[in-house]
Amino acid sequence: MESSDGEAIDKRRVHLRPVTLRDPAPVLLHLLPCEVLVNRPAPVGLFFTPAIRQGPDGLEVSFRGRSLRGEEVVVPPGLVGYVMTEEKGEVLLGKQDFSEGLQDDEQEEQELVEPPEALERDFDRFIGATASFSSFTLWGLETIPGPDARVRGALTWPSLAAAIHAQVPED
Amino acid sequence: MDLSELERDNTGRCRLNSPVPSVCRKEPCVLGVDEAGRGPVLGPMVYAICYCPLSRLADLEALKVADSKTLSESERDRLFGKMEEDGDFVGWALDVLSPNLISTSMLGRVKYNLNSLSHDTATGLVQYALDQGVKVAQVFVDTVGPPETYQERLQQRFPGVEVTVKAKADALYPVVSAASICAKVARDKAVKNWKFVEKLQDLDTDYGSGYPNDPKTKAWLREHVDPVFGFPQFVRFSWRTAQSILEKEAEDITWEDSQTGHQEGLRRIKSYFSEGPRARLPHRYFQERGLESATIL
Repeated sequence: MESSDGEAIDKRRVHLRPVTLRDPAPVLLHLLPCEVLVNRPAPVGLFFTPAIRQGPDGLEVSFRGRSLRGEEVVVPPGLVGYVMTEEKGEVLLGKQDFSEGLQDDEQEEQELVEPPEALERDFDRFIGATASFSSFTLWGLETIPGPDARVRGALTWPSLAAAIHAQVPED
Repeated sequence: MDLSELERDNTGRCRLNSPVPSVCRKEPCVLGVDEAGRGPVLGPMVYAICYCPLSRLADLEALKVADSKTLSESERDRLFGKMEEDGDFVGWALDVLSPNLISTSMLGRVKYNLNSLSHDTATGLVQYALDQGVKVAQVFVDTVGPPETYQERLQQRFPGVEVTVKAKADALYPVVSAASICAKVARDKAVKNWKFVEKLQDLDTDYGSGYPNDPKTKAWLREHVDPVFGFPQFVRFSWRTAQSILEKEAEDITWEDSQTGHQEGLRRIKSYFSEGPRARLPHRYFQERGLESATIL
């Protein structure tokens, strides 16, 4: 029944490291009106943040010679923003050692109980929060994104989702 | 020349001016317009006006002002000092356009080219002199682009003034030479004391003339590329030299207004259609908000 593709994906479970959600450091985020076609660290603190100015109609900066106008967007109440990062091979080992150190007692207990088939396998993928945020700076190309910005609309989805999935009392 | 206002914020434009000599508010004046730093890929472009009463033009000529390009830096500084000493009949004003302003103008959604930017800046400076009460009778301008249309535009804008736009006006008319000296002195000083907005350490400021064909300038540009941010704001991103270095050495960027059939730009939209024959477009609610379900990580 299942295609081989599906099996390959099923085999690689994605695990969330709950411990990373506990207390990740707050971080400043900028959402740009463009896509940088690569995923890599960038010296934001050297090039970008020092160039931000408070203009008459919001924040001003430029990126790659193009003018941006920005404003703060607050994460809706009841929600927390996380920066999620996938652990890479080498990092994985380090992280495991780290969590063992933290949760010494738990680990020992588990070892005594002798776990059944482990939920986390070598070939699984792991994501964890590396930072958290309660607001971010939204940048528009030459104009303030304003109340109609797509991201602002997207942030209304969690409350709508909660409403439409809520249990309707049987009358 | 005090450029401290520019040093406080060099991301936009900055107007500097001498006090207006009182005689210039009483007698008909001649006013020259010129620019410095139009060609370089680095640093600001400076527009300057210089004016004096027609009756004192001979005194301005006596200073032996000449086209700033034919003078050494120290000669220009000395002549500018002389003009300041003659502040009782010579006035000047300038507009420093930061490289960031030039880049963002030229790379805007609606392109604002360098000629229009130059014309508008020159017009703004003449208007500034009029607003200050200077009795402008004649205006001489070193041309940018074809002189005829430029002259027509300026003449229309300032009907009460006799406008002359000419190529090499900076060599022909002493008042334009004087303006060119003001502009060049300001440009040189601005470049020399440029405060980089970026927090870059050990920045090597040996960037040559700043002209795109200077090998030293090119080498400096190549050395100072950041793969994500490109260059410091000192660089005019809109120059071809800067653009071609970015194309080779920096990451590609897709802007929200640049998706004109570019493969990368279309990828996300295409993904709506390419998930097999049964794939449906998500509800408008999700499309309008840019929301997609995360079925794969």
